[in-house]
Amino acid sequence: MIEPMAPDRRGFFTDTTLCIGCKACEVACKEWNQLPQDGYTFTGMSYDNTGELSGSTWRHVAFVEQFDNSQSRWLMESDVCKHCTHAGCLDVCPTGAIVRTEFGTVVIQDDVCNGCGYCVVACPFGVISERVEAKPQEHRTHPRGTMGKCTLCYDRLQIGEQPACAKACPTESIQYGHVDELRERAQRRLEKVRETYDGARLYLENEHDGIGGGGSLFLLLDRPEIYGLPPNPVVPTKSLPQLWRAAAFAAGFLAAAAALASL
Amino acid sequence: MDENRPGYYGRPIVKPPVWTPLIPVYFWAGGWSGASATLALSARCLKRDRAARSLTLAAAVGTAISGFCLIADLKKPERFLHMFRVLKPSSPMSIGVYLFTIFGAASTAAAASEITGIARPFGRFAETIAGVTGPMMSVYTSVLIGDTVMPAWHRAGTALPVLFAATSASTAGGLGMCTIPAADAKPARRLAFLGALGVPIALERLRHQLGPVQFEAYERGKAGQLSHLARLCNLTGLLCTLFAKRNERIARFAGVMLLAAGLAERFAVYHAGKISAEDPAFTIAAESP
Repeated sequence: MIEPMAPDRRGFFTDTTLCIGCKACEVACKEWNQLPQDGYTFTGMSYDNTGELSGSTWRHVAFVEQFDNSQSRWLMESDVCKHCTHAGCLDVCPTGAIVRTEFGTVVIQDDVCNGCGYCVVACPFGVISERVEAKPQEHRTHPRGTMGKCTLCYDRLQIGEQPACAKACPTESIQYGHVDELRERAQRRLEKVRETYDGARLYLENEHDGIGGGGSLFLLLDRPEIYGLPPNPVVPTKSLPQLWRAAAFAAGFLAAAAALASL
Repeated sequence: MDENRPGYYGRPIVKPPVWTPLIPVYFWAGGWSGASATLALSARCLKRDRAARSLTLAAAVGTAISGFCLIADLKKPERFLHMFRVLKPSSPMSIGVYLFTIFGAASTAAAASEITGIARPFGRFAETIAGVTGPMMSVYTSVLIGDTVMPAWHRAGTALPVLFAATSASTAGGLGMCTIPAADAKPARRLAFLGALGVPIALERLRHQLGPVQFEAYERGKAGQLSHLARLCNLTGLLCTLFAKRNERIARFAGVMLLAAGLAERFAVYHAGKISAEDPAFTIAAESP
């Protein structure tokens, strides 16, 4: 669905060529937003022991190891909510808990969310899931019953600060700013990186893609799916008219069958 | 990197639903509840009052089960009230909640009037409302799951409503065969027959729409087992329906088979969605040109 976009839209440009995989963004995000730790899990797959974005992990550093006979490389990418122009989560939320802010970002209001879980399956990027709450005295976490994701540090933006992750990033791999300006910056950076890396590409910078472009843009060095990102994300509500039409036909058939059966 | 695991170490790209098994139970109960109300209305119009009575009661029972499942899935009952803060056309769940509320109130009022004999004209009016909203109540849940990024649901978006309509008809008919004496159960038998006949056609359409790569989600693991079970029960129910006219026991057995087939089918769809999210190969294949 089309809703008006804030004139002063803010977002991220994550330049993965600069990421060193330090995970300062993950820690800063957890600290600022008071999110519980992920636990001491060992995934056994590279240096990524966080695994994925979730209701209580709003930044996730993907760590790709590519080994070839002749050469090998590490690709690191700090993933985050894309704050889509056409956001599936926002479209399907039945309570109005998910809103578009004056910064053009997409935020879940925790006190309104009723935990229905529809946003979880409407996000093409698998960003949202149930939040967990820390119970320090019991040394465990327990489900909160509501959903969570990155707010682009809505509280910090309101006082003119930049998001915690961008502030903490030591290499400026995470850049915060006005989306229009970030798009231009991303384009300039791509041209430069292309001189060295053939596979470099921008991700979600196109306003005409399936989500109308992201509020979070990325510069990647390989195909999106290598980083765990969908290759061609499309907002599911795009097909809503066809779905309702098909349902109306099916309902009509059902009514006709009932009438026929009663004769 | 492991070449055998697609994407990022084989991890899911999209998140599988957090919905508990109460939700497919709701899809099932809501399905036969809606179809029962519609059959009740058409039976009433054609002066088949004995059948209409049982079907109206069945619709109300379905409403009660549906309401319980919907509210229990949210863990805290009062959270359900948050649904009424807004009416959002872009959210099938929002539309569905209002649809369910109207249908549920109407079917409950109709059943209450039917049992107590109080306010008969109002009861008939409520029965009409329930009957008219019934078909949409049966199939809107297919739009709800179609409007997600689970490849097995989204890619089958326009085939799922047909499947949901067919299983709603077969289960409502099946329940009617269990609760209405055989002499008066003709509408139930016929609806059960039409529905059970429609299920394999709907499944064929689904398979065609998804294509071999995406349809695998319906054949793998739990989804595959439940699909087979559903097919077996549906076929048994369909055949027994043909002999249900004279024998009450066969009628009841056929009804139970069709209800079981419907439940297994909804769970198969639920698991197919989950499977298609958990394996990133489905997402990558769905989004690659």
